[in-house]
Amino acid sequence: METMTAKTSTLGRLRRFALSESILLLLLLMFGGAALFAPGFLSLFNIKNLLLQSVDIMVVSVGMTFVLLNGGIDFSCVAVLALGSVFGAWTMADSPLAHTPMAIPAGILVMVGIGLLVGAINGLSVVVLKMPSFIATLATMMVGSGVAVWFASLVAEKASIIGLPESFFILGGDQGILLPVAIVLVLALLAHWLLSTTLFGRWVYAVGTNPRAAFVSGMPVKRTVFLLMVLSGVFAGIQSVLATARNQAGIPSLGDRVFIDIVASIIIGGTSVFGGSGSVIKTVYGVLFITLLNNVVNLLGIEWYVISLIKGILVLTAAFIDVFSKRVDLVQR
Amino acid sequence: MPADNVLTLRNITKSFFGAQVLHGIDLAVRRGEVLGLVGENGAGKSTLMNVLGGVVPRDGGSIELKGSAFEPTSPRDALKAGIAFIHQELSLFSNLTVAENIFIDELPTGPLWSVQYEQMRAKAQEYIGAFGVEASPVTKIGSLPMGVRQTVEITKAVIKNAEIIIFDEPTTSLSQKEKESLFKLIERLHHEYGITIIYISHILEDVFALCDRIAVLRDGHLVGVDETGRLDKPAVIRMMVGRDLSQVYPKVEKTVGDVVYEARNVVQGRAVQGVSLELRTGEIVGLFGLMGAGRTELVRCLFGVDRMDSGEITFRGRRLRSITPEACIRQGMAFVTEDRRQEGLFMPKPVKDNLVAVGLRHMTGLLGMVKRPQESAEAAKAVGNLGIRVQDPERQQAKSLSGGNQQKVVLGKWISQQPTMFILDEPTRGVDVGAKHEIYEIINGMAKRGATVLFVSSEMEELMGVCDRILVMHRGQIIGSLERSEYHQERIMSLALGGRGR
Repeated sequence: METMTAKTSTLGRLRRFALSESILLLLLLMFGGAALFAPGFLSLFNIKNLLLQSVDIMVVSVGMTFVLLNGGIDFSCVAVLALGSVFGAWTMADSPLAHTPMAIPAGILVMVGIGLLVGAINGLSVVVLKMPSFIATLATMMVGSGVAVWFASLVAEKASIIGLPESFFILGGDQGILLPVAIVLVLALLAHWLLSTTLFGRWVYAVGTNPRAAFVSGMPVKRTVFLLMVLSGVFAGIQSVLATARNQAGIPSLGDRVFIDIVASIIIGGTSVFGGSGSVIKTVYGVLFITLLNNVVNLLGIEWYVISLIKGILVLTAAFIDVFSKRVDLVQR
Repeated sequence: MPADNVLTLRNITKSFFGAQVLHGIDLAVRRGEVLGLVGENGAGKSTLMNVLGGVVPRDGGSIELKGSAFEPTSPRDALKAGIAFIHQELSLFSNLTVAENIFIDELPTGPLWSVQYEQMRAKAQEYIGAFGVEASPVTKIGSLPMGVRQTVEITKAVIKNAEIIIFDEPTTSLSQKEKESLFKLIERLHHEYGITIIYISHILEDVFALCDRIAVLRDGHLVGVDETGRLDKPAVIRMMVGRDLSQVYPKVEKTVGDVVYEARNVVQGRAVQGVSLELRTGEIVGLFGLMGAGRTELVRCLFGVDRMDSGEITFRGRRLRSITPEACIRQGMAFVTEDRRQEGLFMPKPVKDNLVAVGLRHMTGLLGMVKRPQESAEAAKAVGNLGIRVQDPERQQAKSLSGGNQQKVVLGKWISQQPTMFILDEPTRGVDVGAKHEIYEIINGMAKRGATVLFVSSEMEELMGVCDRILVMHRGQIIGSLERSEYHQERIMSLALGGRGR
């Protein structure tokens, strides 16, 4: 045992680094390539745009990372984005609270509250009814998206709800991108701190690795899984606040386009789909990478189907690395 | 007489993670004999056979099969060369039928690759009749008892023209009756079909009854091989253990105090049917029973890993209202699971993470943040105290350790909590002799400090060596309690079989 580890330590560490930090290397390569070849990439306008685009999916991706760490998935974030957007916008524009000083706080509360509620429903389905998160959140996604479209058609003439207070738009980068970027950064750091330093974070990794061993070791498995689902919902709710502010309207189709990019970001970032390994930092890299990819493809005028193709291949590669590293371990047993 | 030997192993070596498991084994197997292969857990029996079966590659040495070199790289190679394996865990598909299982790797096909079920059933029926399998070819394997499943597997081996059949602990999950019919079948394979048999077991009675010759492995060395007639049980045990039992089972001075733990009428399904027991401080109590007696189910209920249907537990004068692992740990109890891989360890996580898995909640400070220095210190302490052989507990994965060291990690995560009640389910399974000894010392140390130990094992000798008292379970009930002075192998066994224990 001693000789094995000694022999492989340098090489192993290098390999481990290349595997675990491959997303960072890829990100830097992509950035360098884009700076050299994509016209207008380094312009202030484009960099701003790039940051705003990454803000669009950052919070919800970080939130869903919690669920993936437990080997699950959360489809319902799509519905939370939509529900939050239409109910929040309605609260700010058309409800009795509209045009009062309470409009914006109430709107934000509604959006985050919807995330909390949907997350709690998912959590109960998974923990109490013992449903796979795949099914539980697919159901809430379908119901929630339906409700969002129905509600929007009820209160707005067109599909989207407009007439939101102007001061709300600073959250969307209306007065400069610093505020939304700062909010996203703080949330990501908070999530990272939670996972990497607290007892709760340790439980997340333990439960994600082996829930039975965690249970026998006296860890609160159910509570942990429930909280993960709730956190994912709350983060999606916060994302809905930022997205609604950026679009300056309550839009029921807000989440439709971004779901693929959220999941792709997490997986390309290197969080394992089997649970138990991954991190918020990885997801942040993943989000930046996906945004960069979208941006570059856009600048180069490449057709959109190509990008879907590239993302698909990248997700497959990331998943393969994930499975491969596990299989190597199995053989070494 | 080299012509006589169907199989010759020369100087076979094998290491796992730098720990040598086989130290140059030389073994010749004669054509048509029944060769017994015995040794303690971890002696290298299974590894040797896995090398032969192409399951794991060997490090060195050569294998000669029927006069030519044999280089198996997969179990398929071995099967093609006429070597079949009957494993501890059967490798049948429980959702398929008997006939499908027999022909699984070469389903007879007709036009358009459609499976020729009629032909398959007819052919399967032929062999089933010959071997007395108590099932029709269209029965699903999942609905058959273990003994019949095993016969199906043997049938499959014979249909594949196996010349050598290796049985690896085939009787562990069989009833007495099933065992007898298995032995009759082995006799037939041997006499009627001329098949060479390698029979691995640690049940010496069986080996003596069945085998022409016996080979003994100890710590990866072949320590002896001889005709059964020239050996007796004590001699084989001496070869297997390599030392007196007193050296294997350490003795301690300790005092047994008052009753602290009391279970009343514990019931769970059909597995546990109203068990009551009383345990004292400083007492090590063994729990023995055959496969299916309900030992594991009982202790899992006691710790709340599985829910009990009814029953009550009193610990240190208080009745426990909530019985979950979390609550039991809070009361000062600990539980070493039988299933190390699935329930004991976080295999892909570092040794350190595993060692603090239970104690972590007491190592937090401000805002629930884990105190890393304390965490590392506790882990390092456990590594030192238990002599866990690991290079870097902070980074090395639990699964990279040997079985014995893995088990010490499991013990370590509990011992650091200083439990006053310790439930151990098969704590020495898959652990080598040296580590076993260390585990016994750990258990003794716990008891000496006044902890109560409930020790489940299917190795009777181990219980007789370590425990102050042995409880025997049969069909979900405790049907006997023996003090040390009453220990007698046959008596314990007859109790376990449901007898009165004379």
